[in-house]
Amino acid sequence: MNKNKEKLLNSRYRAEKRFQFYGKSAIFLALLFLTIFIFKIFSTGYTAFQKTWLIVPVTFDAETMYLDENPSKEDLEDADYFDLALQTMFNLDKSASEKQQNDLKRMVSYFFEREIKRELLNDPSLIGKTKDVYLTASDDLDQVFKGNYPRDLPEDQRRVTDYQLKIFDQLVEQGRIESKFNLSFFTYPDSREAELAGIASSFMGSIFSILVCLVIAFPVAVLAAIYLEEFAPKNRFTDFIEVNINNLAAVPSIVFGLLGLGILLAVFQLPRSTPLVGGITLSLMTLPTIIIACRASLKAVPPSIREAALAMGASKMQTTMHHTVPLSMPGTLSGTIIGLAQALGETAPLILIGMVAFVNTIPGSPLDPAASLPVQIYIWAESAERGFVEKVSACIMVLLGFLIIMNLFAQIIRHKFEKKWS
Amino acid sequence: MVEAPHTVKSYEEELKNLNSNIIKMGGFCEESLGKAIQAITTRNSDNAEAVIKDDEKIDKFETLIEQQVVNLIALRQPMAIDLRETVTALKISSDLERIGDLAKNISKRTLLLNENLPKNLTEALVRVSSNVQKQLKSILDAYLDRSSAMAINVWEGDEQIDDLTNLCMQEVIKYLKENEKNLDDGTHLLFVTKNIERIGDHTTNVAEQVYYLVTGEYLEGDRPKGTEPIVTGEK
Amino acid sequence: MKKNGVKMIKINSKNVDVFYGKKQALFNINLDIEENQVTALIGPSGCGKSTFLRCLNRMNDVIDICRVKGQIIINDFDINDKSCDVVRLREKIGMVFQKPNPFPKTIYENISYGPTIHGMAQSKNEMDEIVENSLKKAALWEEVKDRLHEPGTGLSGGQQQRLCIARAISVKPEVILMDEPCSALDPIATAQIEELIDELKKDHTIIIVTHSMAQAARVSQNTGFFHLGELIEHGSTDKIFKNPENKRTQDYITGRFG
Ligand SMILES: Nc1ncnc2c1ncn2[C@@H]1O[C@H](COP(=O)(O)OP(=O)(O)OP(=O)(O)O)[C@@H](O)[C@H]1O
Ligand SMILES: [Mg+2]
Repeated sequence: MNKNKEKLLNSRYRAEKRFQFYGKSAIFLALLFLTIFIFKIFSTGYTAFQKTWLIVPVTFDAETMYLDENPSKEDLEDADYFDLALQTMFNLDKSASEKQQNDLKRMVSYFFEREIKRELLNDPSLIGKTKDVYLTASDDLDQVFKGNYPRDLPEDQRRVTDYQLKIFDQLVEQGRIESKFNLSFFTYPDSREAELAGIASSFMGSIFSILVCLVIAFPVAVLAAIYLEEFAPKNRFTDFIEVNINNLAAVPSIVFGLLGLGILLAVFQLPRSTPLVGGITLSLMTLPTIIIACRASLKAVPPSIREAALAMGASKMQTTMHHTVPLSMPGTLSGTIIGLAQALGETAPLILIGMVAFVNTIPGSPLDPAASLPVQIYIWAESAERGFVEKVSACIMVLLGFLIIMNLFAQIIRHKFEKKWS
Repeated sequence: MVEAPHTVKSYEEELKNLNSNIIKMGGFCEESLGKAIQAITTRNSDNAEAVIKDDEKIDKFETLIEQQVVNLIALRQPMAIDLRETVTALKISSDLERIGDLAKNISKRTLLLNENLPKNLTEALVRVSSNVQKQLKSILDAYLDRSSAMAINVWEGDEQIDDLTNLCMQEVIKYLKENEKNLDDGTHLLFVTKNIERIGDHTTNVAEQVYYLVTGEYLEGDRPKGTEPIVTGEK
Repeated sequence: MKKNGVKMIKINSKNVDVFYGKKQALFNINLDIEENQVTALIGPSGCGKSTFLRCLNRMNDVIDICRVKGQIIINDFDINDKSCDVVRLREKIGMVFQKPNPFPKTIYENISYGPTIHGMAQSKNEMDEIVENSLKKAALWEEVKDRLHEPGTGLSGGQQQRLCIARAISVKPEVILMDEPCSALDPIATAQIEELIDELKKDHTIIIVTHSMAQAARVSQNTGFFHLGELIEHGSTDKIFKNPENKRTQDYITGRFG
């Protein structure tokens, strides 16, 4: 008898140990996948935050720019810098053939003209003088410099010619190639050229969409939740509504995109590709999430608090507004933020309502066309050019950072307020 | 009246125990009283000595019951019928203890009495004492049966005891007057008679307690009295 | 309290039936509550004590499936009448619950809430006075006067319950209903609350539900015994505890329920 008991006890301990082992393995596996994913993203993405510059001496020759003596500010604005810019690049190898000259030109971005112009506008006294100017390297050279580009391929399989590599190596030797923090990744809008492409337009697009989504979804959802939870009679009809709200939360997001396309764009004729339409569409998607979070946190308010208020002679409305809703706010807010974070990562509905269009301006309001971060990732991932590969990862990093900050915020709100009263 | 058992069995046990101790104590008192009276009438000194010895037992019972009552009140906080049960147990036990003492006193005096008492006197003595004995028996039965009717009967019976006591007193006084030599015995007999009457009074007290125990009410009105007790023998 | 030797009846319930859905929880309750006295309601769990108590300030309205029939007359006015304003009624009839349930706000706000919504104070000074008086009456002032602006939920259980009592008396109710107010408290806190109840009965009529026979005996002048939704016996407390008329009452208070 006793022996049996002993055996049983031991087997119980063993079962517990086994279970703990399974649990730990599961966590380990999950962490492993996460680490691999993050490592992959970071290792491919971190280079996008560096940008390669060619430091080229520019002689600001007035003649090449077709400028008169003592040009005014407007003259400088209107001047033609293209020949000057070309000349600057050709000067790198005076003996270059026409084809090689073309190669030389393609060693920098097509922004080189503007970069030279900006230099002069900053300091008009440079006319007639020579100065080293930073020019954005072409994405191909950028990749070569970052080591992402195999140099030992046969020439016809690479986008960089042997000649370009030769000149580039000379420049490296002279210390005329420099890698600096890539500010333009954050300040430039999207571009067809990888070296110039930035996330400014999609970032702003995302912000505007989220704001529109918040402004619409939050009040509607909170009011709906308060009514349903506190005031609505409990009958078949409200049960039916409740079930449907839960169903709505499970509807695939692309369906909301179709809804936006069919109603907001087709019927209401709202401007395509704008954060306004995107935000409204996302708010439809976020609505049930917030309603459910808000109802759950209203439910979590102890009934004793309601009873206390009612017994003091507070009306139903006073009880709700003075006690129940304030107590439910932390939960509601963190639910809202999590809903918004979901919306932030949403791609499909935005593609449907046209936020996938190529936008090379930074939107100033929700009515300007814009992309959004996840859509930007999608667009870049589609591009064939080598330079976009790291951008995709970098953009994912920015999006993840954004999401982590939002979730952190949700956590902080929850903790801070919960601590205060319990 | 039979109560349903308590939910807490040990509480039920304690109350039952208290109850049975009262009944046992009552039984001893009854026995002592019987023996004491027998000792007077049959002049049996063995009986008298037994009564004197038994009083110790009765005293022990009183202490035991008192402890039990205190425990019940402190630990069980009895209510209603249980409260009355505990409180009356305390009071009944002290009455019974007095009865035991009085029986002992009677027996002590019996040992000192002369052999021959007049027949009239013994008869009067037997009449009153057997009446008291009957009262004590029936009040103990009333307690056992929780019968308020029997308690009232006993209570009312006290009147008769008082009357019989008076008659007995007269006999004793007569005996005293007969001969100066009778002074010792007569005095003892006066006390014996008085003690028997006191036992009757204590029995009546018990009757009041039993009535309160059963009904929760107090027996109203003056305690029944016979003609004025003749202690001095003057009329 | 007696006026001209007659007991003044504060609350008079006539033929009160309560149903939860189809289930009847109270059967034909006729109970008079005396003014400025403490009335204890006792009875086994689920017998309808709380239900009856909640009838008196219409807290049963909150429960959808609950229906109340019959008359409950307070100050010559039937509170079950349609014309009765629940908000006014609950201002007159305060309630203290089993579990202390202070609002998750400061001590001060807990007390000032009732007077605020009923517009009882014209100025901050007046409000301060109400708060102080209520706390003093609830015997809590000395303990909390330096921390009025700390959360009420930070107090001990007994202090919280006294805070709830202070909150209830802040609107000067005529009647205070207490549903097992001491069930979560230690003997000292319980004694403090019982002492408080004794004090409060000078100005208020108090009805207290309790599971402690001893507590009912200690604090109340009248006791009502409920069983299975019926009022079995009602009378003065010493009568009920020394010599109840009904066998079921006796069985209950002596612990003979099987
Ligand atoms: N909200 C409710 N819905 C349905 N039935 C209820 C509800 N509240 C109480 N009841 C029922 O009504 C009856 C009386 O309940 P009540 O709460 O008044 O009992 P109580 O005497 O206060 O018990 P306790 O001493 O346990 O608090 C019980 O049978 C209970 O099941
Ligand atoms: Mg209850």
